[in-house]
Amino acid sequence: MNKRSRVEDIGRRGDELLASVGPEDLGPLPPPYDKPEDRPAWKEMNDKAKDRVVCNLDGVVALSLPKPKDAAEEEEYVEKFLSGLKKLLEPQNNWTFLEPLLLSLEYCVKCQTCNDACPVFAASGGKDIYRPTYRSEVWRRLVYKYVKPHGKRFARFIHGDIDLNWTTITRLYELCYRCTLCRRCAQACPIGVDNGLITHELRKLFSQELGWAPKELHEKGTMLQLEVGSSTGMNPAVVKDNLEFIDEDMTELTGIDVKTPWDKENAEVLLIHNAGEVLAWPENPGAFAIILNAAGINWTLSSDEIGYDGVNYGLFYDDFQLARIALKHVQTAKKLKVKKIIMGECGHQHKAMMTISDRILTGDMSIPRESCLTLLEKIVFSGKIKFDPSKNDFPVTLHDPCNIVRNLGIVEPQRRILRYLCPQFREMEPHGVDNYCCGGGSGLAVMSGNNFADWRVSLGGQVKFKQILDAFADQPGPDVKKYVCAPCSNCKGQIRDILQYYKALDKSGITYGGLVELIVNAMVDVKEPFIHWEMH
Amino acid sequence: MSGSLVIVVSYLLLAVFIAAFVVRTVRMAKQPVHLRWELSPVPHEKGKGSYGGSYLEEFEWWTKPREKSLPAELIYMFLEIVFLKSLWEHNRRLWWFSFPLHFGLYLLIVMAAVLLVSTLLGLVGVPVSDYAWLREGVLAFAALGYLLGGFGAIGLLASRLSDSRLKGFTSAATLLNLALLLAMFASGGFAIVASDYFAGMLSDLTALFTAGQSTAPFDVVTVHLGFVFLFLAYLPFSQMMHFVAKYFTYHNVRWDDAPLVPGSRLERKIQRLLNQPVTWSASHLKTDGKKNWVDLATEDVPTKETPK
Repeated sequence: MNKRSRVEDIGRRGDELLASVGPEDLGPLPPPYDKPEDRPAWKEMNDKAKDRVVCNLDGVVALSLPKPKDAAEEEEYVEKFLSGLKKLLEPQNNWTFLEPLLLSLEYCVKCQTCNDACPVFAASGGKDIYRPTYRSEVWRRLVYKYVKPHGKRFARFIHGDIDLNWTTITRLYELCYRCTLCRRCAQACPIGVDNGLITHELRKLFSQELGWAPKELHEKGTMLQLEVGSSTGMNPAVVKDNLEFIDEDMTELTGIDVKTPWDKENAEVLLIHNAGEVLAWPENPGAFAIILNAAGINWTLSSDEIGYDGVNYGLFYDDFQLARIALKHVQTAKKLKVKKIIMGECGHQHKAMMTISDRILTGDMSIPRESCLTLLEKIVFSGKIKFDPSKNDFPVTLHDPCNIVRNLGIVEPQRRILRYLCPQFREMEPHGVDNYCCGGGSGLAVMSGNNFADWRVSLGGQVKFKQILDAFADQPGPDVKKYVCAPCSNCKGQIRDILQYYKALDKSGITYGGLVELIVNAMVDVKEPFIHWEMH
Repeated sequence: MSGSLVIVVSYLLLAVFIAAFVVRTVRMAKQPVHLRWELSPVPHEKGKGSYGGSYLEEFEWWTKPREKSLPAELIYMFLEIVFLKSLWEHNRRLWWFSFPLHFGLYLLIVMAAVLLVSTLLGLVGVPVSDYAWLREGVLAFAALGYLLGGFGAIGLLASRLSDSRLKGFTSAATLLNLALLLAMFASGGFAIVASDYFAGMLSDLTALFTAGQSTAPFDVVTVHLGFVFLFLAYLPFSQMMHFVAKYFTYHNVRWDDAPLVPGSRLERKIQRLLNQPVTWSASHLKTDGKKNWVDLATEDVPTKETPK
């Protein structure tokens, strides 16, 4: 297959893949991961699946879009797409992001400066379809040809040609989920054009007009959350039960009486976790409870539906789903009359609640919202808890979640804690606002359908895994245990999958976890080690 | 060519430039306020901008005064505008052509301003054409500007046509932009070599200011000015307006980190936008042409709906 894919090819030869990608395309990793044969092969889409769902982009299927029944159905969706394309550019329908979108539409000079900033493009060995500019240019040409006046007559001469058909929209839909919205490309752009935003807006078009969205984000994400209270499927009774078990486990493990307060009115802090923590990493909400109780913080969790789950996948694909969930979070806080909402260790929750929703929380919906990282920093340096940093005397590196660091500018609080409590803390390169995404951003971390997990972990996570290995290059063997601190649920999920994929605990002694676990591990009052060197 | 026709065409081209430039700039400035979409680093964050930090790093940030640093923002802008800092950092290969092109333009803008002032002074009787230092200075700025600009335009054209990374994304419009720039630089350089550039410019500009009452020979300087006016008239319709757009992408998007304050003007603007009817048609939104943003965000959501 020809490695070069031109922009206009997206609408052509719909029965073929636009490009092919596999583990053989990935760049080298340091030993002991340097042998290509050690890389697990990617799962192939079987013929039965290919008959059922659209598979025409790169041989990877994240979205399981059913094939259309007939040409009429194809045409119907193409018409809807065109209608959505127009609505994206209307102030009435899309005031939320219209200004940045129009600026990115009209002023990209196509210098490709952003390409090398993208970890997906870099890891793929430079596949054209993974350029941050590729999907943007597809969209741009579609707008100029099909939305602007006289576009069909002149646009192909001025802006380049493209065809709008079923092949175009299905490939574009799948391609929208090969970007993690990390916005590293936007940071590199000299003009300020934002290809991440364009991806975000295209996802919105598909969701808000065609009703197309990944099951993991929509049906099992925001819709399930709105229905039962959490995208994990836990209703209030189940989450309270689980937390009760966690309290018991934590009490047993630490010898400290751990009690999570629920629905306390007039508390200073309403803490909202990503509910995924409760199921996948129970030590995280447990550690929060230990720290907040030890520091004497007047805090509470809420058992209101949605009020106990900070997840808001609407951020990634649908403005209205985002708003619906954000409003529920605020209503919960208002009902309890708390002073402020604290975001748990969840990057997209931070971004959804602290900045993106900020301007829709008007009038009495306005309530202070703060990162757990600033509260934790305040506690750690308050002197209310005694620490022994020698308990954390093992190599620790920090992953910067894009949504907390690049998008919100919360860079130093977590570092000040780690420099104080972890004698062997070392940075990844690059780090801070220049960090690389884990590869699971924008909802990809919870998407594993068909063979997408192979792509996400192997290709999407390639650059991050290399960064982690490089950070520990001075002690590469498995005899020295090492910790990747990732204060974000989705990043943790992706890093877990990467480390498991490469068997990095066995081969290099690397495990991962959040920030609060390191804080509790360093507490003098916690007699037994809180961190366990296992893959969980 | 008749002198008066040249004058009329010049006025027309300048009028198109001014009108289209204003319309397009106002259109950019009039876009509705959007949701926050800031991107670090935000240089005006006092004491934090250098590493990309923001006021959200402060414990209970809403209880503290916002501290902004105008000098830090101005330094960032100066380095970005004059030296194309981000291109230097992220795309060095292109910088070697893009920087000369832009810097050449800056020199020519300065030179043009000096010539305009000189022409006006000449009209009120100041003998500017006798000032050798002025003549030499204008010639130096112009020569360097045309040389750098021409070098940059040729380099960018060659890159666009030969670099495999750029070729697939290079449209006819991009090539036309560069060709017009090159024509402007080349005709200007030729005018310096083949004529009395300084005197020719003063005479042509005087004819423009006096609506053709003074006479000016139709020469290579006039041809060069023709290319300049043609370029100016075309500029507002092209991507080259990115120098204006850049103000908005930085100040209104990347650096717009203003939190919503209850009762503020910003809040009133947002409330107006929230009350507009919305027509997105996916089934989970249930729009009817009348429901507005608030209705959709607050209504009970139909569950059990399964999009593809």
